[in-house]
Amino acid sequence: MGAGHPLCRRPDKLLSIVANQRPFRETTALTVLISNFLALCPVRVDNGLTTGSRLGHGALQFGSISSQCANFYRNGCLAMNAISVRNLRKTFQTKRKAAGLSGSLRALWRPAFQDIEAVRGISFEMEEGELLGFIGPNGAGKSTTIKILTGILHPSSGEAAVLGYVPWRQRQALAFQIGSVFGQRPQLWYHLPAVDTFYLFGKIYELDDGSLKRRISFLAEAFEIEELLETPVRKLSLGQRMRCEVAASLLHKPRVLLLDEPSIGLDVVAKQRLRMTIQRMNELEGVGVLLTSHDAGDIETLCRRVIIVNHGEIVYRDKVSTLKRRYLTVKTVDVRYNEQLAPDFSLPGVEMLKVGRYGAKMRFDTRKTPVEPVISGLAAAGSLADVTVSEPSLEDVISAIYARTEA
Amino acid sequence: MSNREASVLSPEGCVRNPSAAAVAGKYWAIFRTQLVNSLAYPIDLLGRSLLIVLFMWIFMNLWQVTYGATGARSIAGLTLADTMWYLMMAEAVMLSKRDLSETITEQVKDGSVAYLLNKPFNFILYHFAAGLGDSVLAFGGNLIIGAAVVWLMVGPPPGLTGWIFAGAAVGLSWLLDFCFSALIGLSAFVVEETNAFRWIYQKFLLLLGGVLIPLDFFPAWLQTVSLNLPFAWIIYGPARLFVDPSLARLGQVFLQQGIWLTVVGGIVWVMYRRAAARLVINGG
Repeated sequence: MGAGHPLCRRPDKLLSIVANQRPFRETTALTVLISNFLALCPVRVDNGLTTGSRLGHGALQFGSISSQCANFYRNGCLAMNAISVRNLRKTFQTKRKAAGLSGSLRALWRPAFQDIEAVRGISFEMEEGELLGFIGPNGAGKSTTIKILTGILHPSSGEAAVLGYVPWRQRQALAFQIGSVFGQRPQLWYHLPAVDTFYLFGKIYELDDGSLKRRISFLAEAFEIEELLETPVRKLSLGQRMRCEVAASLLHKPRVLLLDEPSIGLDVVAKQRLRMTIQRMNELEGVGVLLTSHDAGDIETLCRRVIIVNHGEIVYRDKVSTLKRRYLTVKTVDVRYNEQLAPDFSLPGVEMLKVGRYGAKMRFDTRKTPVEPVISGLAAAGSLADVTVSEPSLEDVISAIYARTEA
Repeated sequence: MSNREASVLSPEGCVRNPSAAAVAGKYWAIFRTQLVNSLAYPIDLLGRSLLIVLFMWIFMNLWQVTYGATGARSIAGLTLADTMWYLMMAEAVMLSKRDLSETITEQVKDGSVAYLLNKPFNFILYHFAAGLGDSVLAFGGNLIIGAAVVWLMVGPPPGLTGWIFAGAAVGLSWLLDFCFSALIGLSAFVVEETNAFRWIYQKFLLLLGGVLIPLDFFPAWLQTVSLNLPFAWIIYGPARLFVDPSLARLGQVFLQQGIWLTVVGGIVWVMYRRAAARLVINGG
């Protein structure tokens, strides 16, 4: 882990940088801070959550200094990674068995195994407070990566640090600093009101009663769930339940939130509401979010940067705006008319996929063909009954990116 | 931003209190939450407890005939009333203990174990606390209904000492049973399907644990075998203590439970460490 940050190799430089910062001149706190830095490089900056009552007066000083230190890093003096992954690999061994009874008997006598490479040398970084999209089709390796990052799975090789912790060695300590929501695995107790789970989580995360009550009250307001807290979870709609799920995962004020398909099954309004709340919590508390989703809208609305994985490898990483500019440019238009179309109907720069008597389906690339002449051309061709414009799905985009990387 | 928001959002607004009491408090909270959860469906809870009525009725008929046929007032030191009260306690323990091996196996098979392992608590202790929360209410229901039925059948129960001693031993019984359940459940990390182990364990409890027959009625050699196995100290120990609450017997039950808890608990602990290290999670 010492090699995680360039300054770890230069403690003399670190000392001069830290000592020249005005708030760091108090010797005791400085010693604690530096030892903390050297022990948990890349720097683990506590926000008071873990230090407040454990270390007493000196620790409180350290708490406030370390908060300033966090801002110091956030302000860009030093880039601070919340997640740092280098050449991560995970290979599972699964049993293979030929079909039928003879295959089963052979497998009993001489079992055959097959290595499945779920993650193949993934490397990436996520800064503190960043909203990072981590997407890919089923079986791409994203869930395995997330499970390694939460410390549940051991990687076959490679390095990873989450907030300075090596997840699979310091799972319990890391658990206090991260939150997680898995859209398909509810963590709220189904038969109880959400508030009961909130109080349970407060105890599990060892929060004191006073701050837990204030925290619940704040999150209830932020997520607009005050009226829902005392209703049994089984009576909530999926959208309401998911807002409660995310609020529950933020109770202990984690610095990194892992959201795995949080919007799965939600309607458009519920999705939008959930996205807004996540965005707000990111702005208010600076919680970093690693978001996996099959919904391009989630990534588009929330994330500045996106990583796409497929077959256990990163096949694309860049800003979301760049992704959109590059790949979401192909539009498919389905048009229907009130009158018959000319059989040779066509538009310049537009690929006609199908032309019928009363309608047509076509595709064009906005990088090559501007939208305006296409729309004008459609309107000029007759009396329009209906027009549907669709973009490629995220799966199509991923396929396109993967095909490009294989070429 | 309001003052309330400011205070909550500041780092000092969310203070962790990592004391030993807080660590114990989290398992107490899990226990309490499960207790409240079990109360969500009181009719279901009552329904489960009614099963003991059927069992007691069958036992009453069976043992009435047996005692009548032998013509003896007591067999192996137990009168018909003692036997019925013994069986009531044995059934109350058996029907209220939760089969956590099935829960753990399912969690391993469907991958949901991952979502418990990423919380700051011990996976084994979590299940024990939750299982205990479920068992306590069921045990209470079984005791009340079972005792009422047996009282009507054979007269008043043993004295208060029997209730207290048996109550204390039942706590350790659940812990010991939980260790076996955890052992079976954790084996799912290796073999995935654990039905066979569960079936064998339940049959051992029924036959050698003293659920169907007090071990005192066994031939001497089988009694010796049974008393030297852990299953007797899950069911027979507390139930026999209930009808014969002597200090000597209490000491023997606690000693045996302590020995087996150390042995089986130690195996569970080692197995859990190994299972967690080689964890393969289903479901991607």
